[in-house]
Amino acid sequence: MDEAKVGVFIADCGGQISKILDFEALINFVKNIQGVTLVERRSEFWRGQGLQTIVDAVKSNKINRVVVAEGTPKISEIAIAKAVEEAGLNPHLVEVLDLKDHCAWPHRDTPKEATEKAKAMLLAAVEKAKLLEPIEKAEFPAVKSVLVIGGGIAGMQAAEDLAEMGFQVHLVEKEPFLGGLAAKAGRFFPTDDCAICIQSPTADLKTVAHTSRKCVYRSGFSEIPNLNILANSKVVKVEGVPGNYKVVVERKPRYVNEKKCVSCDLCTSVCPVEVPDEYNAKLKTRKAIFVNTPLVYPPVYVIDEKACKFYDCAKCVEVCPTKAVELYQKPEQLTLNVGSIIVATGFREYDPSVIKEYHYGEYPDVITHLELARMIDAFGPTNGVIVKPSDKKPAKRIVFVQCVGSRDRRWNPYCSSICCMISLKHATLIKSAYPDTDITICYIDIRTTGREHEYYYERAREMGIKFVKGRPSEILQDPATNTLVVEVEDELLRRLLELEADLVVLATAMVPSEDAKELAEILGIELDQDGFFKEYNAKLRPTETKLRGIFLCGGATFPKDAPTTSLHAHSAAVKAAKFLTQGKIIKDLKVAVVNEDYCGDCEFCPVTCPYGAISLVPKENGHFVARISELLCEGCGVCVGTCPVGAIELRHLRPNQIAAQMKALLSVNGTSKPLILAISCSECGHAAVDSSGMAMMSYPANVRVLKVPCTGIVQVQHILEAFKAGAQGVMIVGCKPDGCHYEAGSQKAQKKVELAKMLLNAYGIEPDRLEMFNLVYIEGDKFAEAARMMTERVEKLGQIQLA
Amino acid sequence: MTVYALFLGCTIPARQPHYELSARKALTKLGIELVDLEGMTCCAPPPLQSIDLETSLAIAANNICIAEEADLNIVTLCTGCFESLAMANTLLKEKPELKARVNKILSSAGKEFKGNKEVRHYLQVLMEDVGLNRIKQSVIKPLNKLKVAAFSGCHLLRPSELLRFDDPERPRIFDTLIEALEAKSIWYKNKLKCCGGLLRGYADDVALAIARDKIVNASSAGADCIATLCPFCFLTLDLGQMLIKTTYKEEYNMPIIHYAELLSLSLGVEPKELALDFHKVKIDKLLEKIG
Amino acid sequence: MAEERQEKVTTVEFYKEITSKLGGETITFCYQCGTCASSCPVAKITDRFNPRQVIRLALLGQREEVLTNGAIWLCSSCYNCQERCPQKVEIADVIYALRNIAISEGNIPNIYAEFANALLSEGRIVPISKFLEKKRADYGLPPLKPAGIESLKKILSATGFDKIMPKKGESP
Repeated sequence: MDEAKVGVFIADCGGQISKILDFEALINFVKNIQGVTLVERRSEFWRGQGLQTIVDAVKSNKINRVVVAEGTPKISEIAIAKAVEEAGLNPHLVEVLDLKDHCAWPHRDTPKEATEKAKAMLLAAVEKAKLLEPIEKAEFPAVKSVLVIGGGIAGMQAAEDLAEMGFQVHLVEKEPFLGGLAAKAGRFFPTDDCAICIQSPTADLKTVAHTSRKCVYRSGFSEIPNLNILANSKVVKVEGVPGNYKVVVERKPRYVNEKKCVSCDLCTSVCPVEVPDEYNAKLKTRKAIFVNTPLVYPPVYVIDEKACKFYDCAKCVEVCPTKAVELYQKPEQLTLNVGSIIVATGFREYDPSVIKEYHYGEYPDVITHLELARMIDAFGPTNGVIVKPSDKKPAKRIVFVQCVGSRDRRWNPYCSSICCMISLKHATLIKSAYPDTDITICYIDIRTTGREHEYYYERAREMGIKFVKGRPSEILQDPATNTLVVEVEDELLRRLLELEADLVVLATAMVPSEDAKELAEILGIELDQDGFFKEYNAKLRPTETKLRGIFLCGGATFPKDAPTTSLHAHSAAVKAAKFLTQGKIIKDLKVAVVNEDYCGDCEFCPVTCPYGAISLVPKENGHFVARISELLCEGCGVCVGTCPVGAIELRHLRPNQIAAQMKALLSVNGTSKPLILAISCSECGHAAVDSSGMAMMSYPANVRVLKVPCTGIVQVQHILEAFKAGAQGVMIVGCKPDGCHYEAGSQKAQKKVELAKMLLNAYGIEPDRLEMFNLVYIEGDKFAEAARMMTERVEKLGQIQLA
Repeated sequence: MTVYALFLGCTIPARQPHYELSARKALTKLGIELVDLEGMTCCAPPPLQSIDLETSLAIAANNICIAEEADLNIVTLCTGCFESLAMANTLLKEKPELKARVNKILSSAGKEFKGNKEVRHYLQVLMEDVGLNRIKQSVIKPLNKLKVAAFSGCHLLRPSELLRFDDPERPRIFDTLIEALEAKSIWYKNKLKCCGGLLRGYADDVALAIARDKIVNASSAGADCIATLCPFCFLTLDLGQMLIKTTYKEEYNMPIIHYAELLSLSLGVEPKELALDFHKVKIDKLLEKIG
Repeated sequence: MAEERQEKVTTVEFYKEITSKLGGETITFCYQCGTCASSCPVAKITDRFNPRQVIRLALLGQREEVLTNGAIWLCSSCYNCQERCPQKVEIADVIYALRNIAISEGNIPNIYAEFANALLSEGRIVPISKFLEKKRADYGLPPLKPAGIESLKKILSATGFDKIMPKKGESP
């Protein structure tokens, strides 16, 4: 590395901060720092002519390190780095500091002291700049292929988007047919049309306004290029990194050849086995070889291996005109290479048998919505007539019960969000087809929050559907007549009712897919407290997970209706594609590195990494060393703070850089107060410091701020070094414990602070000189208050007296 | 020989010696030894819990301490006593802060609750210590013509989180034990609902209306008798029928009989040995049916 | 005790008074679904009692009404409501807590006063007559072991139970 030639560019922000800081003194001071070859002053340097000055200086080789004192540092950093790179210098040889918000504004009442602090800050930046390393970029493979797990409407829409964007998509569905819940549900609100009706492929430009909609079966979905549909399949293993995953998929045998089956239905006519048809809520039976309905995709029959007699019968083999039935099929495994993965496993109905007072499973006329949906379907097992499952007679009195197993601390404490609308949808559909049906909905609250939802509630009342505000305590059956009796308090009437019903429909809770737990383990992603897949940030990143290549969409994260599912699916598709579009991932290697000679195989660090970037690699003689994935590491430094022997370093913030900054910041006082070093994280911590300046708060200039990526990087020895370097007090400023941007970094910092306090006490230094503060961005006032408070406290304690 | 400390409570010795008599005879015949311990007091049932819950827990714990000192598990006949003692036992075993609070109170009497003994109802003893097989084999006079409306009352089952006796919505133990005597435990409306007994003395009209409901339901279902476990239920339904006669002018003649009495009879104990004159509603027809 | 109360508890704080009492900790979980009322055998027969309404009044802070309107004494402690509550409100125990508060302020129905006095004097809430003791012997039942009145008195004194009750003959 060549000798450092530091250029220092100080912005006076339209002359505003030079009214407070003595710029002449600053410039003189900086000129005399060893290694500084150029000092410039302008109004601003991050754009326009100012930026050009920097670029020219780089190009003319006057400087090979850039220090800029600029306002709005977060924005200016990026602009300056970009320009510097284009000028031919490594963009990581740039250090930006903020003399406005961190010095001039908060210390405007003490301009002389502010100027001295500014000197310290500039010195620190220069000393750091001299030690900066050029950091290069690396390329990682990004396979332009996406795995979508789950073939319901969420998975199908995401798959369609991606396939049409040119990605190879593998859609894996565990059932033999696509469609998920939509295939069973019949109709969806708010449009009351066929649930599996989706937009035809947008590549179909012949249909101009895209107003034609077709169901899965007729939309040509399966013919979208680049789309590989794997039904009857499950993901069993996933290895690799974002951009390059190896996925093992196991395909259950269908026992029918997909390429030969012509859906003629001859096989079912000879099959001797009849079993209750679960798809049709057991309202009828089906054969061992079957399709759910004629409108399915793939349009290929499948054999239920639990029911089939196989070679003891084999009648279907004989009768099939194309010899498509292959009883000898075996499960097969295949390996896919994909760049990202989308989880779209949806949700299912909770089994309400556990709620014994409702007698689901015991009284056949107590059913759930999916079972009712099959009856409403005109092509369903009852031809669209609503009947009592017990005797198949028409049901003339129907009672809906809401919040069954939802909002219930005994079962699922959350609200399942769509059941009120499902009941309103079903009630209005039934009432319009059979107006003489007596329908009552028993509810705790009616939740119609979405677009056009309230109109369902209006329509329901207009149609004479009754609403009882009260949660039924029990469903009884009169053994003489088999009539069901629903016991409920009508709270508004303040009367206890006994509602007679032919049919009781339970709006049961919506819970995660039964495979969610297993899949979460295979993928290495988290589930939330209710068992749904956990998104990275519910507000801004609802379809991403902590793992950069794995995304979520649809009901897999929480029950949702069709419009929201569509939104989710398209969002996940974009996210899954974005980082793969160039065919490679280009990343700055601002990462942590392990010095393998020092690594003592203590195995503390892997679990601290929020990105799972650290793995243990075996070396000879049975030892392991930690190795950090350059692709996954985000350079937060929490592992650095964890390593007990200091074997890990950040390329962009080496220990000598920290030490140099500390020394410089504490080298110049200029106030009558004791020096305090505040180590702040670059997220909330630094934001709080920024905002205290921006809001013109006041705190004394003896408080000097050193920025680190995350307070998790702080080791006990950093704190001791700070005191050694001349700090009379140390503040650690980080995010709130449950708000750390790197998961548990600030919590770990808290632990180190506690440890350090004990050590300080042992050395005869008052532990009160050290304190941790957890702030958020808007708490600029709290930072100023903390700075003042620490100053007062340390002043009272006086100078450090070492024994 | 399985030994238990017998906890009698207040109502049974004061009002229903026939329950105690039949229970002692039946359990002894089935190999259970019952020990009477000195120093037991009221179990602190709902009426006392209504006055002060903490005191009631302490009173219940005090009783359990006596059994702990004698190194015996407790068996109760009255389901109210079962609820009071078993609830206190479980709560104090599982909530250390509550246990500390109660022990502080108990220390004034020189006692300490340790939590090393069990509180059981005699039905549990029958199911687990005696066993269905032995009961069936010991039946000398099967009750096979009898349609019994089983009424366990509330406090055998609830609060189920603490009592953990049987499924509160689909209980089977009591019915199984009735059927072990070759009687039929029939379905009747609102089988698991309360008899209203605890309202007697404060709102007698309400209590009577609730009791009447129970009698009507059992009667409509064709029951020969209602089998009870709780002395309050017994009083409410038995004496209650006298009050129903005067208040509602209705007569149901529904025999109310404790399970322990049915058990004794089926084990061969003669009716005259069982103090059956404590029943207000005459049970002669019932005895005839049993044979 | 009523006479020791210095200031009137503001109605806003009533729920805190209940949640800090043994048995009343879960009252604020209630979202007024009405399952308890529908399960209640007493509410079925009379509209003088409805557990949901009792809780509603309490949560609205209507302390005076809840403690004096007599409804809380109509609960038969059958625990059906507590079994079925979807928010795990310990309704029967909450009613005990309300009764405890009412009694500590002197609102006590006569029947409870009788039970308490019997307990204080004989260790049992139902006194046992001499007549019955003799009958026991006739039936061959063993004589009753004496109740532990001394220990009981110490316990009742330790919790202040003996001071809660107006003595027999005194007006509450």
